[in-house]
Amino acid sequence: MILSLSWIKDYVSLPDDADLNKLAYDLTMDTVEVEDVEYLGKRFENMVVGVIKAVNPHPNADKLRVCTVDLGEAEPKEIVCGGINLEVGMRVAVAVPGAIVRWHGEGEPVEIKKSKLRGVESYGMICASDEIGLGDLLPSKQEAEILDLSAWDVPAGTPIADALDLNDVLLEIDNKSMTNRPDLWGHYGIAREIAALYKLPMKKIEPVKVDATSDFKVEIKDIDRCPRYIGVEMNGVSVKASPFSMQSRIWRVGMRPINALVDITNYVMLATGNPTHAFDADNIEDHITVRRAAEGEKLLLLNGKELALCGDDLVIADGEGAVALAGVMGGAKDSILPKTTRVILEVANFESTGIRRTALRYDNRTEASSRYEKAVDPERCDQALALSLAFFKELYPELQITGFCDRYEKKLERAEIDVSLTWLAKRLGKHLTNDDIRAKLEILGFDVAIDGDNMHVIAPTWRSTGDISIKDDVMEEVARMYGYDNFESTPFTTSFEGAINQKDISLVRNIKEYLAIRCGMQEIFTYPWMNDTFVNAVMQDTTGMLRLSTPPAPELSWLRSSLLPNMCEAVMKNERYFDDFAIFEEAQVFTDSDYTSPYDATESLPKQRRNIAAAIASGTRSVNDLFREMKGFLAYMPRYTHMEGFTFKKDVKPVWADSVVWQNIYVGDTKIGDLGLVAKKVTMECGIKNLTVLVFEMDTTLLRPLISRTNKFTHLAEYPVTDYDISMLFDSATTWEEIDAVIAKKEAGPVKAAGFVDEYRGKQIPAGKKSVTIRLTIGSNEKTLTSDEIEAAAGSVMKQLTKRLGAELRTQ
Amino acid sequence: MKDKIESILSLAKAKIAEAADENLLQKVRSDIIGKQGSLTLLLKELPTVDVSLRPEMGKLLNQAKNHISELIDTKRTELKLKASEVSPDFDCSVPGVMPMNGGLHPITQMCYDLNDAFRSMGFEVYQEDDITSEMYAFDKLNFPQNHPARESMDTYWLAGHDSGSTNEKLCLRPHLTGGSVRYMQTHKPPYRFVYPGRVYRNETTDAHHERAFFQYEALIVDKDITFTSGKVLIKSILSKVFGTDVPVRMRSGFFPFVEPGFEIDMQCQVCGGKGCSVCKHVGWIEVMPGGSPHPNVLRAAGLDPDEYTGFYVNIGLDRLVMMRYGVDDVRLFHSADLRFLRQFR
Repeated sequence: MILSLSWIKDYVSLPDDADLNKLAYDLTMDTVEVEDVEYLGKRFENMVVGVIKAVNPHPNADKLRVCTVDLGEAEPKEIVCGGINLEVGMRVAVAVPGAIVRWHGEGEPVEIKKSKLRGVESYGMICASDEIGLGDLLPSKQEAEILDLSAWDVPAGTPIADALDLNDVLLEIDNKSMTNRPDLWGHYGIAREIAALYKLPMKKIEPVKVDATSDFKVEIKDIDRCPRYIGVEMNGVSVKASPFSMQSRIWRVGMRPINALVDITNYVMLATGNPTHAFDADNIEDHITVRRAAEGEKLLLLNGKELALCGDDLVIADGEGAVALAGVMGGAKDSILPKTTRVILEVANFESTGIRRTALRYDNRTEASSRYEKAVDPERCDQALALSLAFFKELYPELQITGFCDRYEKKLERAEIDVSLTWLAKRLGKHLTNDDIRAKLEILGFDVAIDGDNMHVIAPTWRSTGDISIKDDVMEEVARMYGYDNFESTPFTTSFEGAINQKDISLVRNIKEYLAIRCGMQEIFTYPWMNDTFVNAVMQDTTGMLRLSTPPAPELSWLRSSLLPNMCEAVMKNERYFDDFAIFEEAQVFTDSDYTSPYDATESLPKQRRNIAAAIASGTRSVNDLFREMKGFLAYMPRYTHMEGFTFKKDVKPVWADSVVWQNIYVGDTKIGDLGLVAKKVTMECGIKNLTVLVFEMDTTLLRPLISRTNKFTHLAEYPVTDYDISMLFDSATTWEEIDAVIAKKEAGPVKAAGFVDEYRGKQIPAGKKSVTIRLTIGSNEKTLTSDEIEAAAGSVMKQLTKRLGAELRTQ
Repeated sequence: MKDKIESILSLAKAKIAEAADENLLQKVRSDIIGKQGSLTLLLKELPTVDVSLRPEMGKLLNQAKNHISELIDTKRTELKLKASEVSPDFDCSVPGVMPMNGGLHPITQMCYDLNDAFRSMGFEVYQEDDITSEMYAFDKLNFPQNHPARESMDTYWLAGHDSGSTNEKLCLRPHLTGGSVRYMQTHKPPYRFVYPGRVYRNETTDAHHERAFFQYEALIVDKDITFTSGKVLIKSILSKVFGTDVPVRMRSGFFPFVEPGFEIDMQCQVCGGKGCSVCKHVGWIEVMPGGSPHPNVLRAAGLDPDEYTGFYVNIGLDRLVMMRYGVDDVRLFHSADLRFLRQFR
């Protein structure tokens, strides 16, 4: 919302030399957020009124004229201009060098410089209204029409801002910061707040009394939805322009002046925050009734939209049918037309949530509805009426009030709240005297009665429509008037018990840091929804997935049940720039199953787990290298992150995996995830061109963090321990797991451990075989082994491997 | 002979000083005190010297030999200290090799920095699920049935769960606060916890608006706490995270689930409060709305608002990170673009 400072000053005696930055700051700190303070006059810097002394043809251009213009300086200036309405003696707006204008009201602003136009020197620019941002206030009637300021009797050289009285300051308020303060939606309300903040006198709009002189009546059929309705029937009005000063104010806060009748209603709304409306009385049959619409009732609105209403909509109707959508928009039938001479002025109050429902139902939010939906207090009709009638009388001296009716059927109850002063002091963290508290509240319009520890507070009407309803609201008012930033704040106290020890939270962080720092992977974030292309490629089908009813895009509706589709998309996107990289993501995944809620018996939430997934993508390294790297990352993860270890088994092949290169990850007997090579078909469908992609994904909620570190101390070996490498030929299909199992049986003796060194297939190895190099760790706890004893221990392992797996010693 | 000894000695000294490596030094040794060395040959001439001079000359010769031998040994040690395994043109100015190229997401980094700060003050870290019901997203937070926020926080509803009563309607959480109610329902007061997480709004995206972004809530609920204590807490936290004293200010604000409500602004860390494009030239950045949980919210969590009260803030993590590094497009955070993510170590 934009507010005009000069308008605010109509209602509060703000000193002329008030520091506006401080005002904006104080309003921001205590009431509403002021987003911008604009000095309106700055828009018209280097623009002055010029008087045309001569208009001559341009020697080189038919459409241009060379004008001699008096700018109030010693010598008149020559200015080239293409305007069609140039006349000697005319007052015009001249942009002199340094002014910022928009050519023909379009495009980027440009700075005026002295220049030559078609060979003739031109000092500045004679402007059309839209070229200097006045198009809405002083619209031109045709193309290339120069703004004619002859009606303003000012000397040549007068700055435009002075001539048109535009030296105002505009405050832009963040609407979000005042949704709870319906009383502030108008200049009068903001003035009242400023008066309270600075203890300044208010210039009140006093209610007026109008005598009903005829049988004019208004009927309200739903007083809950329409607590108050004032109708005023008036003769002797006409459609004409409103005074420039009124138009100017309406324009500077962002609306468009139309004609005097409409301008008065808009002006009153902008001033008081209470919308008003004028009907053409000649088009109203019988009397005005405020009622619910009939189901399917038709209404043609002012803006040409035809609505089929429903029973929840409130309408203003006459004897024939609905003539306006109450509090939202007038109808076409009764609108103000050029021939209008009699009007019915509506100054009414409507209930907020009903207005909101209707405005949203027809996607028709207006200046009026956006104010009513904040909950305007019905007492404000008094100010709106008084201000409206003052303007009508001023602009139409012939005016006669032929009918008046004020139906105030549902009186507003002022909110009454009891507040314990002890409680207040405790919550404020500060003791204020009773007088201080009373003063802070009374200046805001509250009535305060203190009896012992109890303070009985009655809120003003304009704060009683929901804004102030509990004692915390009263405390906020006191705190606000004291200034939040003025409280010396005392720190919270702490107790030294119950140290924070959250194993599951720490574990996930440890894993992320392990992957990032030890494994060299980069963490990524992707959205919870997936692109259909990647869902189809990676997941094959969508069974058990949840989807959004209004997704960001039609192809982004599925919610992830796995992190891998988005992981593959990320690989695809990065392939353009990188050919060897590793990424991981930890996030929530969802499945359409196991609905439950531990919080509320009636609530039912789907299964939600947190997964962690990673990908290594490389165009340079072999599947074997990548697989061993990824498996190493996993196998050593428990050790560095303090959780129970993993085992790897081939149990259920993941749908996305290559037919050979995959394993399932287990903790104990629980399968927690998968590891594998993404099948070529899948990567191709994902648009991954050259990269080999290894991934893992696991459910972090199934991991088992250790209670504490479980490292154990082992005595250092007293006698030497020897590494002894053996290379043997096995059937190509023999697995390391099988080899390791055979050796493990011998480990009780001097063979302490066996490790995989490498395996080799190819030249020098018979077809169908592979050579495996195994590192045996051999030693004794009792003595130093002789080389014969070491040989014997190794020989015994080799014998077992030959016996159980048919291994042969590799002969060079 | 004495002169000869002197000249051999001075020659030897010069050669030893010149010798640049061990081989040259070895040559000096054999040239002078080796089998055919000049001093050795002179020693052999000793019997021919006049008997009366012989003892003196012998003494001089031996002294010279020992002296040269010592000089050579000293020089040898010196050369050993200077020696290198590589050629002298080894280029030490070549750049180092980067360790493995990994890192945490800048938002995770900020979140962990905050976690560390809050945990150091005795806060728990809480985590809740992304899908919630309308009941927890709005009802329990004192949003009246027709409150504008229900629509302005354009919510992502789930297909098949987007109608019916509020306990049946499911959505991606539009904010974290509903989760705080879940925490309070399942834990005993007093509370002191932080709650980081991703939230979702169905809106058009641009450089400053995202459909998925991160919030970080902190909530304290206890008896007898004053509503301004939070300001000290927030100041301590931000100062720890940013490593310098960060001025903060607290001003009036409004949210349905708090009463009273406030906004906490921090001094713009890009311009130091002087005013720049990041802070729209006001020197302050709105980083966290907050307030005391509304009595209705405490009631929804099963607490008596006459007994308990609290302090709540909701930090916009994306905005904080954008300011920390001058990132100008919020959409980069979900881009998974390594060119962006690898900038943050």
